[in-house]
Amino acid sequence: METFQHFALLLIGGALVNNILLTRFIGLCPFFGVSSSMETSFGMAGAVVFVMTLASSATWVFYNVLLEPLGVGEFLYIPAFILVIAALVQFVEMYLKKASPGLYRSLGIFLPLITTNCAVLATATEAVKPGFFKMNMAYGFGFGEALVYTVGVALGFGFALMSFAALRDRLEVAPVPNAMKGTPMAFVTAGLLSLGYIGLGSWFGL
Amino acid sequence: MSEWFSVFKRGLSVDNPLTVLMIGLCATLAVSTKFEGAFFMGLAVIFVLTMSAILVSFLRHVVPEKVRIPVFIVIIASFVTIVDLMMKAFLPTVYDFLGVWIPLIVVNCIILGRAEAFSYHKPVKLAIADGLGMGIGFSAVIVVLASIRELLGSGQIVFLGTKIIGFPAWYKGPNIVLLFPGAFIIFGFMVAGAMALNRRMSARQVQTSQRCTIEEGGGS
Repeated sequence: METFQHFALLLIGGALVNNILLTRFIGLCPFFGVSSSMETSFGMAGAVVFVMTLASSATWVFYNVLLEPLGVGEFLYIPAFILVIAALVQFVEMYLKKASPGLYRSLGIFLPLITTNCAVLATATEAVKPGFFKMNMAYGFGFGEALVYTVGVALGFGFALMSFAALRDRLEVAPVPNAMKGTPMAFVTAGLLSLGYIGLGSWFGL
Repeated sequence: MSEWFSVFKRGLSVDNPLTVLMIGLCATLAVSTKFEGAFFMGLAVIFVLTMSAILVSFLRHVVPEKVRIPVFIVIIASFVTIVDLMMKAFLPTVYDFLGVWIPLIVVNCIILGRAEAFSYHKPVKLAIADGLGMGIGFSAVIVVLASIRELLGSGQIVFLGTKIIGFPAWYKGPNIVLLFPGAFIIFGFMVAGAMALNRRMSARQVQTSQRCTIEEGGGS
């Protein structure tokens, strides 16, 4: 029971309370870039869940098996992680192209984009060094905890992206003052959405 | 020299990475609660952007087209590691405040985007102009945003422990300015202002939103 509660808190904490887009500002480029249509945001959300989970598992193993025992984790983790993620995305892309062309067509255009998305690098770093983000956790994650946490973060990313896309659909027909049309209004809307996410934090008593 | 200057100036006005191109937003919104943090973040970005532009432009005839993206990433990551370690050693309080945003400069789209779109094709001299211009344009916006938020939110601006400017003691700032929604909303108004300014300055159409994409040519 204890462990179940722990994992549930990790999942909810990652997905809603510490929502990566709206309460920590990580990965905002696709948030404003692809959210103009519901369909593309769905594709992006799926790709992020997929890549982020793979990337975090890969970097966790890479860090704990290779970098940490060699004693170079402290100053080599930035270039190492970004290269591991880039290589991984490349391999996934090649594999999908061969194995499942349908999935490749729907995720394909988002995969190269994700390499340079800070959300993936940030979550991978966080899975290895939880204290890094002032998460009130002094210990390092085990593999299972890292995995659950990453899935939570990725789902939170997808959820926020899609709810924002829905809001923007509605914003198209809303009477907005001329000076605020377009991007400025999108920012203000995102501000109001993130206000809601702050409320969630007190809801769960975290 | 006039070409140098016009490249330099573009990053500050019509091609400003934040208010016009909308790239590199994450760091901007996150670290802009404190003037001090925003200032050093700006310096770090100027350093990484300019140095990587010089190196990318210097190596542009050596690096093959196919592997350019990994090469750019390694170059950028090395300069970011330099900043990361230097800041940890000499400015520990600022380093604690900026936290993850220093390593995340690696994936800041501005830097990779400029390496790909500009420095890889242009001589070193112009690459320096572009790096400095884009870097200063980024820093100017982030410092202005941070000044507004810190002044309205906490009533004073503190830089390295000394108070620079402040409201009288009775001023109680609304907390929302320092929280996440404040960043989005104030930045929204700043973008509206910048768009109006650009419209007034030149009649030419300004691209309002550009996806944070790095065009990946070749096989990928």
